[in-house]
Amino acid sequence: MRKAVTGLRAWLVQRVSAIYMLFFIVFLLVHFLVDPPNSYLAWHDWALSRGVSIAASVFWVALFAHAWVGVRDVIMDYVHPIAARVFALALLGLGLVGAGAWVARILWLGRG
Amino acid sequence: MKLSIFRFNPERDKRPYMQDYEVEIGPHDRMLLDVILRIRAQDDSLTIRKSCREGVCGSDAININGRNGLACITPVGGLREPVVLRPLPSFPVIRDLVVDMTQFFAQYHSIKPYVINDEPAPEKERLQSPEDRAKLDGLYECILCACCTSQCPSSWWNPDKFVGPAGLLQAYRFIIDSRDRATQERLDDLNDAYRLFRCRTIMNCTEVCPKGLAPSRAIEKIRLMMVKNSL
Repeated sequence: MRKAVTGLRAWLVQRVSAIYMLFFIVFLLVHFLVDPPNSYLAWHDWALSRGVSIAASVFWVALFAHAWVGVRDVIMDYVHPIAARVFALALLGLGLVGAGAWVARILWLGRG
Repeated sequence: MKLSIFRFNPERDKRPYMQDYEVEIGPHDRMLLDVILRIRAQDDSLTIRKSCREGVCGSDAININGRNGLACITPVGGLREPVVLRPLPSFPVIRDLVVDMTQFFAQYHSIKPYVINDEPAPEKERLQSPEDRAKLDGLYECILCACCTSQCPSSWWNPDKFVGPAGLLQAYRFIIDSRDRATQERLDDLNDAYRLFRCRTIMNCTEVCPKGLAPSRAIEKIRLMMVKNSL
């Protein structure tokens, strides 16, 4: 059990991911305020530049990890029958994996 | 004074109900418990637990106008009428305002609420510096009235698995005790999905504690200690 993402590990994942997301959102806001792109193409190039892509990928990983721990906690609180809990967790996992694949496709596979 | 009191006698009633009372407050009735005892003088079927009458024993913890507290140290002056009295939320009702605290005390016992030290006992006593002793302030004063645990949503959802704020405050009281030698075992025991980490920092516990203690701060300190030890 100690190796699983539970207890302290889950709590740390949620805190660390929240801090990263906060910094990334502040970085986005500051960027768009200080140096806003003047066209779609400029924005597109900036968004798909290597550094921003990596930072954005980490942001999405942090978001999915944060959501996994948070929603899993809610499910553990409210859904007590084992079958229903497994179903809800599977649904959550599938949803997050699907969303992750979509993000990967946009950020890394859609480069022309 | 008008009161609406939760009544349930499992031998007689199929369902609980609220009963209205109106009593004349006497010149020496300062606290809510005085008024409840005045009602009891009229209706001796009303059941309540009480003992010390001065906020030390924690027996008369009830839900007063939606907020847990000790009847004996709740002044009647500031209460909105009708004063609605219910047993502690989420605890099984034995009768009227008396609840079954078996699970609450089982959680308390699960944290091993005693100093664990296998070193040879000194001739007189295990000494503690004034600084180490001061670390127990705000922890040892807990009277286990259960006001905090009964008002904690995390305890409502998982009362059998989550230790609850009162138990965790006591856990920290022994974790931080310089005479205790089982710190790591205590931290390991709490490091699972439920026992400590069900706490979502709602902080009802600190809000309602009639002794002015802060279980949520103790919980935070346990978490930070775990982080420190894991690094």
